[in-house]
Amino acid sequence: MTETPKDKSLDWPTLLKDNTRSGGQGQQPARPPERAIWQFHAGSSVRSAPILQDRILYVTSVGGLVHAIDVGTGTSKWKFQAPGQIHSTPSLSGNRLLFGCDDGKVYALDRHVGNKLWEAASEAEVWASPVVSNGVVFFGSADTKVYGVDAATGSQRWVRELGGRVYSTIHAVEHRLYVGCGDGRVYSLDASSGTVLWSTLTGQGIDSSPAVDGDLVLIGSEDFWVYAMTASAGEVRWKYETGLGIASSPAVSGDLTVLGSKDGFLYALETQTGRLRWKTVVGEVVTAPPVIGHGVVCIQAGGTFALDCATGKVVWQAALAGAVQAVPVLAGDNIYLASLSGEVYALR
Amino acid sequence: MDRRTFVKASCMGSASLLMPGGLDPKVRAEVTPPSVPQVELRGLLNYNPSPLGMPGLFPSRVIEIRQPNAIVRNRISQPIVRHMLEHAMQELTGEKSASAAWARFVEPHDIVGIKINPSGAPACCSSPEIVREIVASVQSVGVPARNIVVYDRYSYEMDIGSYQTLLPPGIRIVGIQEAFVGDTGYEPSIYCDANCFGEWETRSFMASIVAHELTKIINLPTMKDHSAAGVTGALKNLAYGTFNNVARTHRAPHSFTSPMIGLMCTVEPLRSKAVLHIMDGMRQVWHGGPLTQVQDFIDQPGILLAATDPVALDTIELEAIETKRRERGVPSLWQHDANSITEDSGEFYRNASKNLFFRQPGHIAAAGKLGLGVGDLKQIDHRVLSA
Repeated sequence: MTETPKDKSLDWPTLLKDNTRSGGQGQQPARPPERAIWQFHAGSSVRSAPILQDRILYVTSVGGLVHAIDVGTGTSKWKFQAPGQIHSTPSLSGNRLLFGCDDGKVYALDRHVGNKLWEAASEAEVWASPVVSNGVVFFGSADTKVYGVDAATGSQRWVRELGGRVYSTIHAVEHRLYVGCGDGRVYSLDASSGTVLWSTLTGQGIDSSPAVDGDLVLIGSEDFWVYAMTASAGEVRWKYETGLGIASSPAVSGDLTVLGSKDGFLYALETQTGRLRWKTVVGEVVTAPPVIGHGVVCIQAGGTFALDCATGKVVWQAALAGAVQAVPVLAGDNIYLASLSGEVYALR
Repeated sequence: MDRRTFVKASCMGSASLLMPGGLDPKVRAEVTPPSVPQVELRGLLNYNPSPLGMPGLFPSRVIEIRQPNAIVRNRISQPIVRHMLEHAMQELTGEKSASAAWARFVEPHDIVGIKINPSGAPACCSSPEIVREIVASVQSVGVPARNIVVYDRYSYEMDIGSYQTLLPPGIRIVGIQEAFVGDTGYEPSIYCDANCFGEWETRSFMASIVAHELTKIINLPTMKDHSAAGVTGALKNLAYGTFNNVARTHRAPHSFTSPMIGLMCTVEPLRSKAVLHIMDGMRQVWHGGPLTQVQDFIDQPGILLAATDPVALDTIELEAIETKRRERGVPSLWQHDANSITEDSGEFYRNASKNLFFRQPGHIAAAGKLGLGVGDLKQIDHRVLSA
């Protein structure tokens, strides 16, 4: 597949490609990259995932810089200096680029030129990625609250206090939100009011961001378990125990849910039953989310690995882009990686 | 007063500490260590040392409390560690209540730093459950959450440990620097200068947060083998977790962790602010430290230790790791046999008889000679309790 400027299927506008957290199904990373097209230094460590739209790659860095990089040339189109560190993966909504900042605010920039459009305040750092649904931006904060703000103006629609810090990125489905929390609970909120519809306790705090497949909410917990809960009531349908805590977020494709654990394994579980299909060790520790392409799972864990989705066998690996939370962006023949050391790579 | 101090054998009254001939006597004859460099220390100007500073209120006293049920299948029980910490603190201080015990070290107006050890996360790092109990204990004295800072040097290691998610709201969680590079966050006027192996930057600078912001430090090391230092405990967690540019003190197979660890701990205001050391022995790494993720080398004894004297505490830790290695039939931490050295880190992580450096467990006794505490086992008041 070759990129063209109008090929919208290559866009990757939010964490794990889109709000379904599908992780880029239909893309084709099955062949190993043969060369780096370009390399870009972000100025400081990158602890978030890049996103892509209209051949512009958006990358946030811990030094507080937001970069818009032309993927054709690997050069900066614009950059924006935020007042604090940035750990948040950005997301796109229309012409707005959204991201959270350690100064407690979520910023909206004009994605074409990098000008600030609005800001919305919380009372502590925002590491989660803002999620947009039906004209509302949803985000959690370390101040223990979840916010809903107007996507056009940033004005607050509602705020809901939970029981712990929120670093999990919200999953929005129709009129419901799902999010993990540092108090160990998975919450479902009403998207229009923030009212808690249900909450289900796990055994430890939650870093992981949920995926939703049908009536199942899928999420990992620092208590070592992967959970599948009913989206309607939060009842635990199944759970699967890994060897250590889970910070990685699940990617769902076909009948499989794939996520990593701090025990170094990537796990593929049958979404409906929780039965293990395969597990493969990919590093000493896995904290980043995987993405699923055309029959291939990609994960950054020390290096970058691609595994056969059916068997878990490593198809290729590249000793690039050590990561804590970065996710490769799969776009046709190209793969874009951001690294803990602050390098951004375009591979083909 | 200018606390600039040139540390030379002749001026410290501890010649054996720094002279090559005074290095650990168990160093075998065939190993010729490089000469110990001259070290220059510069502390904070006009700083008035605190009587709470190392070795603190209870020199030579180490409280050890054991409860195997505190950790089961790698999961730590919050209620059990709460009870263990309360019990240990009362025994350490002789106070009737845990809050009274904590009040010996912390006052409501303090800015309290909790120095964790996240290196080695997730397999063995300062347990969030114990950090939570320390936070609650400090709050019980009247310190507001906003004045409690959980910190370490590398923020990416703290991320891997998920401390941000797992610790209570309101407290600050600070990584002094990003991964790998950067010297912002360090105070340029406070340093330890030594040319160890011809490196271009010979200074290690103290973290600004320690120099200027915190008023008390609660140190939370883990119990781990360390391929260069012998063990990493209270002293190393403070020294190499406060000063930057410390990897330069190792060049395989040699290491100057002795005497550098102890020397760094003497620098004010670090020495005065580090008032209490809680050692997390829920897990115990007997080989492959400090970073191993190999579970075969990590036991789960469920131990907690408390002391104000880091030298006494680390001496007990050293004995524990030595004992464990004896039980496992692997060489002593003191062994300096050139045949045990490997350049292959993979082999080191597979084979407990191999090491990357000649370990320097003598750094603990060296710190004792600097007045930081008691390193003679016979003089240590080691009280072992069961929860």
